[in-house]
Amino acid sequence: MNSTRMRITTIAKKELVEFVRDWRTIVAILVIPVLMFPLLFILFPLLLEAEAQELDELIVDVELQADDLPDGFQSALEYSSINLTFAELDAVENLTEPGTAMEKLRSGEVDAVVRVRANNSTWQYAVLHMSTSEQSNEARSRVLLNLGEWEQNETRNRLVAVDLDPDATLNPLQWNGSIAQGDVASKGEQAGLALSLFIPLVLAVWTFSSAIQPSIDMTAGERERGTLEALLGLPCTRAELLFGKWLAVATITAAGVLLQIAGLTFAIGYLATSDIISAPTMTLGVVALLCVAVLLFAITVVAFELALAMRAHSVKEAGSVLGPAVLLILFPALFTQVINLDGIELFWFAIPVVNVLLALRELLLNRVVPVHVLVWMVSSAVYATLAALYAARQFNREDIVTTLS
Amino acid sequence: MDDTLLQVQSVSKLFGEVQALNNISLTINKGEIIGLVGSNGAGKTTLLRLLAGVYRPTKGTLQMADGTTVEAGRHHLGVVPESTGLYSRLTAWENIRYHSRLHGVKDEESWARTLHYATLLDMTPHLGRHTKGFSRGMRQKTALLRALAHHPSLLLLDEPTAGLDVTSARTVKKLVKTLGEDGKTIVYSTHQLPEAEQVCSRIIIVHNGEIRADGTPQELLQLTGQTTLEEAYVTLSSDKARSVDVEEQPAKGWSRMWRGFFTPTTPAAGGDEDE
Repeated sequence: MNSTRMRITTIAKKELVEFVRDWRTIVAILVIPVLMFPLLFILFPLLLEAEAQELDELIVDVELQADDLPDGFQSALEYSSINLTFAELDAVENLTEPGTAMEKLRSGEVDAVVRVRANNSTWQYAVLHMSTSEQSNEARSRVLLNLGEWEQNETRNRLVAVDLDPDATLNPLQWNGSIAQGDVASKGEQAGLALSLFIPLVLAVWTFSSAIQPSIDMTAGERERGTLEALLGLPCTRAELLFGKWLAVATITAAGVLLQIAGLTFAIGYLATSDIISAPTMTLGVVALLCVAVLLFAITVVAFELALAMRAHSVKEAGSVLGPAVLLILFPALFTQVINLDGIELFWFAIPVVNVLLALRELLLNRVVPVHVLVWMVSSAVYATLAALYAARQFNREDIVTTLS
Repeated sequence: MDDTLLQVQSVSKLFGEVQALNNISLTINKGEIIGLVGSNGAGKTTLLRLLAGVYRPTKGTLQMADGTTVEAGRHHLGVVPESTGLYSRLTAWENIRYHSRLHGVKDEESWARTLHYATLLDMTPHLGRHTKGFSRGMRQKTALLRALAHHPSLLLLDEPTAGLDVTSARTVKKLVKTLGEDGKTIVYSTHQLPEAEQVCSRIIIVHNGEIRADGTPQELLQLTGQTTLEEAYVTLSSDKARSVDVEEQPAKGWSRMWRGFFTPTTPAAGGDEDE
């Protein structure tokens, strides 16, 4: 093995050995990404479902205030899940004026109050509730749903009474066929669209944030612990030192990102069995380009973070610089989600961070536009080189050992 | 036959506007144990870092006997910095092996040498232990083993007994003397004059970035006309020592302004007295 390569791999191996011996870092950078998507896509919906079921089983207390009621109105509200009580209509001009309902709703005596009064040939109504109480919101929803059904029946009855066809009168324009069939995009393509809205964001943020801790540990950490001086006295160049450390951080980051993708794939596979989402359609070439995009991004990010951390005099200082630097990724990442990919201008693919995120979005949609690929690839390579040069400059600074004196 | 191992010629080192070393010239000969003696901030560590190739001189040259620069000849050097520079999540042997590998030395070779010196330092049972729980003495001994494992021609030791208990310091000094007897060249930085007298064959007094004297203990006494080395040292460094940490750059620009904004001024002398 040539001596430069040997020294770079020796440095990288040592950094990795030190890394795997710290179980806390392993949990933070490797275990959490594996579990993140399964927890988000499987456990979280299950929890939501359980909560919704619990709400469905609730019996809500509703007070009906009316002096007179239209036919079938009371029976429309009399469901097993609604405990209906009756009261005289409050003397209010406007039905939404709180009146006596205020105290009853705030104290939780009832979950909703329905007021009804006749108004010539129509009826006026209002539902009072407390929006900060889930039970009250649920009561309101059930009341509105049931009243909606009553209103629909009443409308039909009135149309029939004047010899009109309710269907033709209410729906003169009717959809024919299945709504899903009207979309020519395949399920895989639809899945690609859904995933392209958040996967680039998560990948970018995770790549950046998972490189922070190892970058700091291998630079400012070494400086603070006094191990850097001994290292700088060895017969290896600072460029070899930088590349060795870069290789280690990139390996850790890549492992974190790959594990995250594995967790995501598992979660999508699980969801695909329940017809919620399909696996996105992607050719092998697209997958390869996707890996190139992430790799170029990782090269840039890791070099940039190593450089920033090397500039810091201590771990604390490095943390206070690199922590907020996540925003440099987060803001462009959020912005990229709203950029319309159809007819997109070419310059977007040359803007740092945005270029890779847009590339990921396009690729997840299984779109390969050669000119776009060329621009994001070249611009990413340029940014990666600039970041590496910047990092090399920081590593060549003579004062990186001065704080040890 | 020329015994020169390393030649330092008119070397000056500036950190910003601070002159850490001023026009230093010296020759390091094979087999010498040279004591670099000076107060804190005298410039000993700066000189050692220049000798180790960690710093580049602002002026002057440092040249190995074969005409190469110090950077190019770093595989001839064994360095023990004051901080020892051990990785706490690695074992003592892993720390040693890491540096040896970067020196291009085979594991078997460095292991054999480590075992030899570890026996002298009573460190053999600890080679497989993580250095996290090591005492200062054990850390210093491990750093010494690490510096010796690739068989260097020149050993640079920055205050190797600082913070050590009497027994550990004695063991380290004994090893240094043994190495000297075996023909190793050693530069030994310390601010303890008796220690330098005990260990070194040649003493260089560094003060305020300058070499004030360079010779055997006897020569220093003759030069100053004193009867003890302590008196000789006081005579040679009679001017006030500069403030420490000449390498630490003062904060500039925005950092300095920001820090100053939140730093109250100290009361003026006698400020509490009522007029």
